[in-house]
Amino acid sequence: MLSFLTAIFAQADAGADAGKAIALGVGGGLGAVGAGVGIGIIFGKVIESVTRQPEMRDEITGIQWLGFALTEACFFYGLVAGLIAFFL
Amino acid sequence: MSTGKRIALIVGGIYLFLIVLSIGIFGWSRLDNNEFKPQNEFKLDDWIGSGPFAFNKAVLYLIIASVLTVGTMLWISRRMKARPNRVQTAVEWIYTAMRDNITRGNMDDAMARKWFPFIATLFLFIWFSNLIGYIPLPTNTHEKVDVLGVMIPSFALYAATANLSIPLALALVVFVAYNVEGIRAKGVGGYLKSLIPDGIDNPGMKAFVFVLEFLSNFMRLISLSVRLFANILAGHLIILFMTGGLAVLLGIEALGVIIIPAGIAIFLFEVGLVATLQAFIFATLTAIYLGGAVAEHH
Repeated sequence: MLSFLTAIFAQADAGADAGKAIALGVGGGLGAVGAGVGIGIIFGKVIESVTRQPEMRDEITGIQWLGFALTEACFFYGLVAGLIAFFL
Repeated sequence: MSTGKRIALIVGGIYLFLIVLSIGIFGWSRLDNNEFKPQNEFKLDDWIGSGPFAFNKAVLYLIIASVLTVGTMLWISRRMKARPNRVQTAVEWIYTAMRDNITRGNMDDAMARKWFPFIATLFLFIWFSNLIGYIPLPTNTHEKVDVLGVMIPSFALYAATANLSIPLALALVVFVAYNVEGIRAKGVGGYLKSLIPDGIDNPGMKAFVFVLEFLSNFMRLISLSVRLFANILAGHLIILFMTGGLAVLLGIEALGVIIIPAGIAIFLFEVGLVATLQAFIFATLTAIYLGGAVAEHH
């Protein structure tokens, strides 16, 4: 009986480790999917608008970096949540 | 064949040769290393004192960043010349960008005059503390290196902004500043009313949007601080893993040789883009929040 319980607890421990790894993978991986799509859309739209109105380039670049950083940050929210789950 | 192509071929050849050599010497066998804890790189040891007033790595970086912010600007402003040299030109360009793009672009002129010093200081402070984070300094007191009988701390990368407390403190200052400024401009009732956008007539909808906007004010606190913190922390972690951490953790020597170019690329990306961009974002969002709090229409 005792050995059986020990075996189950060992399993649970391994399960917790696997759960942590999954958390990190989902946090980093799925976060990267969304942010990747977002950054692609931003730069695509910037290229589109600059080719349409090249004289607006300076203004557009300013907004472009703002949008890029805001979108990119969303990836890091997921990644940090994954890292917290993994290490803490 | 052009010179550039030849150099690229030589560098690529050396890279491949080093990979083959390291695989030849060490083989490709995995040996997990359980002693090396990557999270210890970001641990804060108390050097002097303890508790909330302890002097540690983060405090050292904060002091360096503050001294750099105040020092460089004072130094430049003392030796302003009619014919600027290169440094003065660069600083003047940054000054103009901070004044015209960040501050004046997001609020009216009276507010801009009042808040430009705050926003500029915020930008420079975050920028300097991000940048000194990429210079290796002997701060890792966990691992000491024996140099001629003297134990010196090993060199480590760390940034004050890679610790949540510091961006959070900055975000709290910003949060208090724009709320107080909004209340001063419109009064408590007027400020709360201005949270609801124009053009909503349904009272139920109004109440719902008010609750949402009120909570989003607090979410700004989280997003502002976590954005800066997570960007810098993730950058440091990726640099750590790419330039040796992964090889040490898994015990595969050749892997370290294979991924070190990626580590260098990430390092350059972080120094060249992310450090400046995050400071710019923090300052711009501060300006947007301040401008939005006093604006007549939401």
